[in-house]
Amino acid sequence: MRLTYTDTQQAFRAEVREWLAANVPHAPLLTLECEEGYHQHVGWERQLASGNWGMVTWPESYGGRGLDLIEWLIFEEEYWGAGAPLRVNQNGIFLLGPTIMDYGTPEQKARFLTPMAAGEVIWAQAWSEPGAGSDMAAIKTTAFRDGDHYVINGQKTWSSRASFADWGFGLFRTEEGSQRHKGLSFILFDLDTPGITRRPIRQLHGHPGFAELFFDDVRVPVENRLAGEGEGWTVAMATAGFERGLMLRSPGRFQAAARRLVELFRQHESAAAPSAREAVTRAWMDTQAYAYNTYAVAAKIMAGGKIGAEASLNKIFWSELDRTMHRTAMQLLGAAAELRQLADGAINEWLEGYMFSLSGPIYAGSNEIQRNITAERLLGLPRVGAG
Amino acid sequence: MDMLIAPERLELAEAVRDYLAGTHGPDVLRRLDAGPNRDPAIWQGLVEMGLPGLLVPESHGGLGMGLLDAALIARECGRVCLAEPLVESAFVAVPWLIAQGRTADLAAIVAGEHRPVAAHAINGWVADGTGEPMASIDPLRRLTAPSGEVSDVPLLLDLGALMSAAQLVGLAEAMLDQAVDYAIIRTQFGQPVGAFQAIKHKLADVAVALEFARPVLWRAAQALDDRAASAALHVSHAKLVATDAAYLAAESAIQVHGAMGYTYEVDLHFWMKRAWALGGAWGARAFHLARIDAAVIGGTHPIGPENTFA
Repeated sequence: MRLTYTDTQQAFRAEVREWLAANVPHAPLLTLECEEGYHQHVGWERQLASGNWGMVTWPESYGGRGLDLIEWLIFEEEYWGAGAPLRVNQNGIFLLGPTIMDYGTPEQKARFLTPMAAGEVIWAQAWSEPGAGSDMAAIKTTAFRDGDHYVINGQKTWSSRASFADWGFGLFRTEEGSQRHKGLSFILFDLDTPGITRRPIRQLHGHPGFAELFFDDVRVPVENRLAGEGEGWTVAMATAGFERGLMLRSPGRFQAAARRLVELFRQHESAAAPSAREAVTRAWMDTQAYAYNTYAVAAKIMAGGKIGAEASLNKIFWSELDRTMHRTAMQLLGAAAELRQLADGAINEWLEGYMFSLSGPIYAGSNEIQRNITAERLLGLPRVGAG
Repeated sequence: MDMLIAPERLELAEAVRDYLAGTHGPDVLRRLDAGPNRDPAIWQGLVEMGLPGLLVPESHGGLGMGLLDAALIARECGRVCLAEPLVESAFVAVPWLIAQGRTADLAAIVAGEHRPVAAHAINGWVADGTGEPMASIDPLRRLTAPSGEVSDVPLLLDLGALMSAAQLVGLAEAMLDQAVDYAIIRTQFGQPVGAFQAIKHKLADVAVALEFARPVLWRAAQALDDRAASAALHVSHAKLVATDAAYLAAESAIQVHGAMGYTYEVDLHFWMKRAWALGGAWGARAFHLARIDAAVIGGTHPIGPENTFA
């Protein structure tokens, strides 16, 4: 254990800080959940890519910098500390990208990773179906072979980014009559393929951030399948591991929110409830604990380890601390909490953030499912219904 | 920057864990509770592993290890609810003596013949001291009224708080294990009670609390070993989250045990009472929360993502 950064790491931090100071937009972008804001965020992704900052851990040949996970964490700390925009590219770079690294063919890596890091292709997730939410193995949408194509029929829903994104990835039933986890394949598809209908869904905040997707005889080339036919569940679980585990929610984002919460508390200190004071202190404690844990997980992976079921502990912790921090802010704001713009005309980001934080314990596998996984796989308690 | 604990550092703690698991089971706690609370044979076993001299420099015959190693072992002591005063003496009083340059007794300490204790003003008692006995709810704790030198120096308090936090993590881990074991063997409504989600989710919450208390503890131990300027803040952080995790583990474990958990017969009570004791020792919740509050809200410590390891 060594709690100091090397000279190289400090020089890298300085380089990131300098680039961000010169490039992060001064005025906040519109929310990426609306069409105009989405395109602003895509523009920001391309600006990041122009400085080779799209995904620093990827090999240079794919537009990355070939850096390690500690340097990635340093990048993220500076990124969120500088107040840089949310990553509209996150489904690609944090979820699908690492999955393609592990399971893709050389042709697939060359074809998909470079435009992903460059922000040229923005990805949507297509997991859930009307009858397959927490129980993802209940997927019914089919993709049956017809020569060198799959023909997809069915429906996906709660598809993040799908209202505006370019491509999608998800699980489809490729074996007729197969059940549960068997017979599923992981398929990538162009969202503009004939036969796909997107129906944007208006979310809690009023914007169409996710969509329903209807597939009507959609023909997708077989080379768009990741890993073997019928191996989709294994691949999807790896993606979900990334989602719950290390990458999707880097600590910097929460640490930045905790710092803003401390500032908010100072402004409202005279009117704050005594409980708010401890909640603000706890926001610092919990976001720091999350950061230490992430550094430990990164070190473990760098030493050849893997993320297992403990990713579930991670997901429970970050999603609930985010909700608690934003709830505390809503309470500090008092009567102003409901206002969409605050007195200075700025968007009430605490309100927007609180609404968003309510989705955290639901998506990427609800926290009830994560608690079951924790109890059964980490603690060894009997499976539900095992009697 | 490396938050991984090196495998060779874990080896000693694992050896201590194995030794204690084999020699210091619940039967020992019950035997000590029925008798004089201390057993020279148990102490001798710890001496033979070199533990009283863990933090004593090699030049004085000790193992010359650091506070992270000591915290790893203090956690193991918590896990078995060790009665002998190893942690308070060897991992709190001894480094405090060494920090003051008081090295005259180190040879006797390494040999296990001298067990120094340190009295701090924040505690109204001394553990295993020589003053008037005071009764603790923890039947294996030997508290005495302070007599002689009572310090108010922050370093001693930080050593005591850090090592209490380490024991609290071990205590909480053991209570979680006991609750899991019981939830598997106890059946009601035709199935193990651990198959019910109400039980699963309660115990999963303990696992979450522990998962995010441990790295705080290791970070605090390394920071205090480095004598980092912010070490006191990190020690307070560790003491708070370890105390909260231990209370949560204790209350969850007794609930999962049902009425059995409310009896003196089930071993859980030894761990639970030690957790209450150490949760309040060396600065209770309010003290440590106030130190964090002063740093974070008071603005004396840099916060935010760029300052993770400030």
